[in-house]
Amino acid sequence: MTDSADKLAAPYAAPRSTGGLLTDIKRIATFTIMRLVALFVTVIIGVYLAILVANMGGQVDQLRIVQIESGIAERFRADPAFFDLPSEQRQALIDTQVQMEIERLRLDQPFIRRSVDYLVQAISLNLGRAEQLHSDAGSRQVRDIIVERLPATLLLFGTANFLIFFTSIFAALYLSRRYGSGLDRAVIGLAPSSAAPPWFYGIFLILIFAFLLGALPHGGMVDVPPPEGRLAYAASVLRHMILPVTAMFVASIFISIYSWRTFFLIHSSEDYVEMARAKGLPGRLIEQRYILRPTLPPIVTSFALSLIGLWSGAIITERVFNWPGVGTLLFQAIGQTDTPVIIGSVVIFAYLLALTVFLLDVVYAVLDPRVRLAGGAR
Amino acid sequence: MGRAKRLVLVAVGVVAIVAAWQLIGTGEQRPAWTPVAEDAPVGDRRGALLDQVVFTLEQDPGRITDLIEGGAIQMFAQGITNATVFRRIRDSELVEYDIAYGSSAELTINPAGPTFNDGRLNPFHVPEIREALNWLVDRRYVAEELYGGLAVPRYLPINTAFPDYARLAEVARTLELRYRHDPERAHAVIESHMERLGARREAGFWTHDGIPIRVSVLIRTDDERRRVGDYISNLLEELGFRVERLYRAADEASRIWIAGDPMDGRWHVYTGGWVALLVNRDLAENLNYYYTPRGRPEPLWQTYEPDPELDTLAERLMRRDYASWDERQEMMARGIELAMQDSVRVWLTDQINILARHRNVSVAADLAGGVVASALWGYTLRYRDRVGGSATVGLTNLLTEPWNPIAGSNWVFDNMMMRGLTDSALLPDPFTGLFWPQRIESAEVAVQEDVPVIQTHDWLTVERVPEIAVPADAWVDWDVEEQRWITVGEKFPEGVTSRTRVRVRYEPEYLQRRWHDGTQYSLADLLLPWILTFERADPASPLFDAADAPSIEVFKRHFRGRRIVSTDPLVLEIYSDQIYPDAEWIANARTPDVAPWHTLAVAMRAEMQGELAFSSNKADRNQIGWMSMVAGPSLGILERHLQAARERHHLPFANVLRDYVRPGEIEARYAALAQWYAQRRHFWVDNGPFYLHSVHPVERTVVFRRFEDFPDPADKWLRFTEPRIPALDIGGPMVVRKGEAPAFEVDISFNGERYPVEDIERARYLLFDGRGQLVAEGDAEPVGDGRWVVALEAADVERLGVGASSLEVAVTSVHVALPTFASHGFAVVPAAPGGHRELTQNDG
Repeated sequence: MTDSADKLAAPYAAPRSTGGLLTDIKRIATFTIMRLVALFVTVIIGVYLAILVANMGGQVDQLRIVQIESGIAERFRADPAFFDLPSEQRQALIDTQVQMEIERLRLDQPFIRRSVDYLVQAISLNLGRAEQLHSDAGSRQVRDIIVERLPATLLLFGTANFLIFFTSIFAALYLSRRYGSGLDRAVIGLAPSSAAPPWFYGIFLILIFAFLLGALPHGGMVDVPPPEGRLAYAASVLRHMILPVTAMFVASIFISIYSWRTFFLIHSSEDYVEMARAKGLPGRLIEQRYILRPTLPPIVTSFALSLIGLWSGAIITERVFNWPGVGTLLFQAIGQTDTPVIIGSVVIFAYLLALTVFLLDVVYAVLDPRVRLAGGAR
Repeated sequence: MGRAKRLVLVAVGVVAIVAAWQLIGTGEQRPAWTPVAEDAPVGDRRGALLDQVVFTLEQDPGRITDLIEGGAIQMFAQGITNATVFRRIRDSELVEYDIAYGSSAELTINPAGPTFNDGRLNPFHVPEIREALNWLVDRRYVAEELYGGLAVPRYLPINTAFPDYARLAEVARTLELRYRHDPERAHAVIESHMERLGARREAGFWTHDGIPIRVSVLIRTDDERRRVGDYISNLLEELGFRVERLYRAADEASRIWIAGDPMDGRWHVYTGGWVALLVNRDLAENLNYYYTPRGRPEPLWQTYEPDPELDTLAERLMRRDYASWDERQEMMARGIELAMQDSVRVWLTDQINILARHRNVSVAADLAGGVVASALWGYTLRYRDRVGGSATVGLTNLLTEPWNPIAGSNWVFDNMMMRGLTDSALLPDPFTGLFWPQRIESAEVAVQEDVPVIQTHDWLTVERVPEIAVPADAWVDWDVEEQRWITVGEKFPEGVTSRTRVRVRYEPEYLQRRWHDGTQYSLADLLLPWILTFERADPASPLFDAADAPSIEVFKRHFRGRRIVSTDPLVLEIYSDQIYPDAEWIANARTPDVAPWHTLAVAMRAEMQGELAFSSNKADRNQIGWMSMVAGPSLGILERHLQAARERHHLPFANVLRDYVRPGEIEARYAALAQWYAQRRHFWVDNGPFYLHSVHPVERTVVFRRFEDFPDPADKWLRFTEPRIPALDIGGPMVVRKGEAPAFEVDISFNGERYPVEDIERARYLLFDGRGQLVAEGDAEPVGDGRWVVALEAADVERLGVGASSLEVAVTSVHVALPTFASHGFAVVPAAPGGHRELTQNDG
């Protein structure tokens, strides 16, 4: 079975000679290396900028020294054991403690030197030790801190994003076939509801389903205390996911359907689609081959980026639902200017983004036969 | 139309599903509670009154009422200061609250000058202008309006909820009247001094050398201080200053007011705040801290130029350099008066923290720090209508840092939880701050004659002696190399004396008690923590920790020796030069607690081999883990060391401790710990009313269960669940004629019942004339429980002069540190011609 798209693609799929294949491999290798280098440089620049911003170009040092001095002075003042020490001796003890803390945090070293150390460590994925924060279990390794929170974030936001993504794609396809129907108009009418963030709906959902009806938990990831059996634990987690997932779903679904539906509608009016319709091809076939296939790259891009977006969680939504995720962790890290944790999160995000962009380049080439390397036949 | 019907059907469907959910009972159950007249009897129950306590994370005070009403939590440990949230709590039928003091708000003034580095005039360099701010601000308005009633006015550098305020009640009241709200006086004083500085008013604004005087108010935005800052700014604008309002969060503000140079003139007034977490019985240090350059090394403190008299008094008070308590009180009174004249700080309020709990729940909360600072919560938390059950406590943070008993987490919520797991030798009274015996029977405190100490309770004795010689066989130090005690005879061959000696007698059969893992106490539990103190202070030891140096240095400066007088019963003698004004505090500071030597031994092995460290600082320096005995990667390391210790029958410092363990104890201890770890997956073994059942770090939940072998009756500490703050009512004549000697009745009660005479520490009266001048003072006389009389003499009335006068009564109870005040206004009229007449009696 042939169709117009297949015919259009046919010349590009012509077999090559051995010399042409080698040239292609060379080009692919050159492209890959150039692309990776460009992405790596981008990552380095992005991470270093994050280091500068997180430390306000080194100005945070002064703030942290003030915090250290105040904290230690207050601690001494609150301890009756130090009350009758002469002021000079007490001050000497305070100074010693302050100096130790400054050395621990390497605040006695120039910021520029530390910033390069931060960068080298981050780029080599040696995330190192946090300065203030700990994992909930008590580890100071940035890796442990992030990894501990990641499953909760992936579970909640992954579930919600999957639901939103696939529901909106299929609903959008459905609506694009029923352009102007009542349901279509209802979705368009509800699209502005996505202007409100998930936590906004979360508050109402908690109020109604947790406090008013008492039907669902108000927050947290699991019952208090956590059930001891695995099945009971899983069931409890699922129950606790209902409200946050619903909040995220409600906050995003209508605008997402609306966007994809518009996107599909635009593609539905392409000449080759009209041609296929004129030829009397079945609607499902038109959808799969003439609409979905050429629109796959942006769909895949959107999906990939939404997966990366999981990494950062959502600070306010997590706080509203008491969800122990990465968003809350980042909030704490920023609040306490814990540079290693901030940089750790940023560098992982940067690497994931770079990797995704690179993979998307490859995926595009696989999905879209029109994509070829520069210098290739067109 | 069809679509509308479908929508309605969908809506009905959703409601039906929710209703069905409710019916099948999947949701959280709301416990019903019928108010009870009296708490359920405790019977012969021992230890904790609850079977289980669950701690969970709850960071939003705004929904506490809903959570308590819904049964999700029964108590919220964080103090609530938001007036809106408080109103919601107050209006709830199911939620009750306790109150705690401790936080305070003030105006920190920048006294640099007379001109800043750029030549601008700083009016607040002048003490009189700073002092006048006291008359300018209406503290009652700040407390009632800006803080929504969740604060009380505070004028002085001593907290109104602490014992010193009660002890100095008459001084405090006199000064409060002297500095009461008087904006006209403030305007007059400030105008007068501004003119002396060469400032002129132009178009309603103050100028100096033709330049408008701009005042920068640094306003904290984190809490109600934002409104306070606006209020102060408005007042200063009314005075004719151009005001720049600098709204800043804590970190940004600290860079300006603490880190910055006051001479740069970036700010003039800062809305400061301070927190106290426990009832502090000795506020003598406040003057030194808040008013002299010795308080802190930061530039602001270095600009302070206190009056020499204030400076001397502040330092002497801080060093407790006084011969008697009366002398100390006189010094405090004069120091406070001078501090008010200096006024580098203008005190505004003591905040009230609301501690929310279900009506069916009661607990002993500390009057200063609330539940988080209460040492008694574990002994007193209960349901009022029953004994036993499980309660959930919401905390705004938990497991903030790793838990270990030597240098682990010091965060308030972690400490609160740890207190529920441990059983200290003495426990502080949550309402007075004085200590009561828990595991000791009595204490004999001996002090040198020149040491001013007061004694309140009779569970201890205080003896004053000319000299206290430390016995030569007392242990005074530890030899890290040879691992043995160093005696006083060795270290001080010529002998040594100490300022105090405390002889502590522990309860009978103290060493028969058991740890949570079922093992029995031994003297090694007492000695190992002490040896560890010395080891951690000595650089030659693998356990040395520089971060601990200050506290150990202070300890060694005072410490003069310790010895075991007897083991059955256990009696210890401790010699030290460190003193506190209260003998109860001295006894507490000297009495050592026990710690399970076997868990410490395992932990010490991990630190000595460089795998874990007790303290954060040492962990970071050595790039190893900060030890957590309850969760995380430390557990695997500790488990390995437990195994090794068990195989090798390891007893730390064996050449000393082997004499203090029972036969078979080493094996029994490690076997019990291994079993404990296998069951509960943590190494926190303790001796309190609860044991640590499980820790769920990511879920932010910690579960405590009742320790069934706890020896004490469950109601031992229940008398501390409600502070017996006296209520006053003054009755007496509204009109007094000169020449009369009127009597005023003072009714003192608590919850409607008359306050026993013996429970009243003091009932002072102060008589003020219409100008607020103190005319007379004295003690009220008891005429029966709850009934006291203030009998004035005709001469007192004569001195009042004709016009409005007031009688103030300050009552302090032995049960609470918080003094209660009441006042009664009356008019003095000229004597009636032709003799006296009966005057109408009326309640004030």
